[in-house]
Amino acid sequence: MSRRRFKPATASSHWPATGAVFAFPIAFILLPLAAFLAYSFFWTEQGVMSYALTLRNYARFFTDPVFLPVLRQTCVLCLEVAFLTVLAGYPVAYFLASLRGRIRYILLMLMLVPLLMSYVIKIYAIRSILGGHGALNRALLWLGLIDEPLTVFVFNLNAVLLTLTVLLIPFAVLPIFLSLERIPRSLMDASADLGASATQTFMRVILPLSLPGTITALTFVFVLAIGDFLTPQMVGGQSGFTFGRIIYSQFGTAFNWPFGAALSVILAVVVIAAIALGTIFGRDRSALK
Amino acid sequence: MFGTLVKRGLPLMAGLCALVGTTLVAAQGADAKELRVLAWQGYADEDWVKEFEEKSGADVNVVFIGTDDEIWAKIKGSEGKDFDLFAVNTAQLQRYIDAGLTTPIDLDNVPNQKAQLPIFSDLTKVKGVMRDGKVHAIPFCFDSIGLIYDTDKVNPAPTSMDVLWDAKYKGKVLAYDNGEHNFSFTALTLGIADPFNLTAAQMDEIKAKLVALKGNVLSFYSTADEALQIYQSNDVALIWANYGQQQVKAMQDAGAHIAYVNPSEGALAWLDTWALTSGVQDKELAEQWIDFVLQKKIGEQLSQRTGFGNTVAPSPNAGANDKLIYLEAVEDPTKRSDLWNEIKAAQ
Repeated sequence: MSRRRFKPATASSHWPATGAVFAFPIAFILLPLAAFLAYSFFWTEQGVMSYALTLRNYARFFTDPVFLPVLRQTCVLCLEVAFLTVLAGYPVAYFLASLRGRIRYILLMLMLVPLLMSYVIKIYAIRSILGGHGALNRALLWLGLIDEPLTVFVFNLNAVLLTLTVLLIPFAVLPIFLSLERIPRSLMDASADLGASATQTFMRVILPLSLPGTITALTFVFVLAIGDFLTPQMVGGQSGFTFGRIIYSQFGTAFNWPFGAALSVILAVVVIAAIALGTIFGRDRSALK
Repeated sequence: MFGTLVKRGLPLMAGLCALVGTTLVAAQGADAKELRVLAWQGYADEDWVKEFEEKSGADVNVVFIGTDDEIWAKIKGSEGKDFDLFAVNTAQLQRYIDAGLTTPIDLDNVPNQKAQLPIFSDLTKVKGVMRDGKVHAIPFCFDSIGLIYDTDKVNPAPTSMDVLWDAKYKGKVLAYDNGEHNFSFTALTLGIADPFNLTAAQMDEIKAKLVALKGNVLSFYSTADEALQIYQSNDVALIWANYGQQQVKAMQDAGAHIAYVNPSEGALAWLDTWALTSGVQDKELAEQWIDFVLQKKIGEQLSQRTGFGNTVAPSPNAGANDKLIYLEAVEDPTKRSDLWNEIKAAQ
């Protein structure tokens, strides 16, 4: 397959166009981020903002006994979500990649349909399903597996885990599917010709070659999950407290924007670290080829 | 602030119609007497405005606001000159009085004030409306933050917020996700006299009490709809009703077997009042308006249309003997919010 290469114009010859291209990300991405960073060095006392630069917000994060444990718990939760989505998403992606012709893309599109729905509505729906009188409990009661509705599914960390996993599965399927799709058919044929069983082909050829996509999926889901405050807020109840909820409260009820900004910067560092790790591992694996 | 959330829910269309209506009216006769009103949706309905105009011969120009900050911007921005009277809650009212943006009201021009419900008619007992012996505002509309309980599950009927801590209702309590209010109501439950100015020691005591409450709580909700949805799909017995009667009505409409009670230790409540601006042009006309909207008929209509309690006719929002504690600015909202996070993070 031939590929057309996109040749960027040189900056000197088309500077107005180049300027326009850069203006948008600078105005809507870089500047807001810089504002966030700047805010994190301000300080609020009794609802009055002090613009003298200080590291007190960061000091507070590391010394107050509340924040680090919640961040750690949130990271663990999001790692679990990432692994669960990949565990559930890999077979789906594998199945889709193994299909031929138009049906593969039709099914892929169908799988992505939930992404067109409002996030809030999906959380509401899942919350109804998981609730004490919800579909899940009613099904278990009907099957005779339990005598009383279980409360372990909703308004705790389990609920956050389950809900985030269900919501984020499409984000795991897509990168894995793309990496599986790119594996040339000839490699599998060669493997079979050389006497490898289906399992051996999968373990020695397909799995290693799809690892970059799998790691991208893990990173994707982790980053999306850790930035989410709505899901924990709505299904987390009294025990499912996460870092996103703390940040949300700083901007909402506490009106402490500088501290909220500092917490967001810390979260951004975690996210950037996750992406960097994903990139490093993804690259190493593909270099094995 | 709290009332704002509730009032935003009122239909936008009504507001638009009223705006169009008042603009037309204003365009007709600019030479006649004019009354400029700044109010929340539902406080100056079109039919009332029309009746008052016929009665007084004045043109009434109503501007509706959506937030407390908007009132401040409009009144402070014009130093009170753009409006004759405005609706404001008792907590907010204080900064207007401090800034000299109000004009004391002459009660002789508001005869209906004496016929207000007993908990409102003695203005010396309504905290915040009087200062230095002068009446700066007259109570008009309120709602309490009481307790909703499922009548099938909670027996006998509770009388205090204490019941939220009852181990019988473990995992069946819906609380509200707001540190400020939760500290205030818990202070009342613990018998602290001033729930809006807590000492550090009192805050620690309340914090421990709220951590204990967590064990009983199923979830913290933010909106009335959310509480209803959680109630429908879970086993909920008690709800701390931030949205008062509006919430009760929505739940009853959905077929819930519930009742509402204001706790005996005192229920937090917001109270909106009418106040005259420092720039009032026709003071007597403005006082006539207050007297006009304090009619029983209008009070009843107000409650019927909005679900809020009025101050002249009995409503389910508060009984004759209920103790209402009107919300005030708290000592340190940030501190309360931080402590609330600590409570939520506590294991």
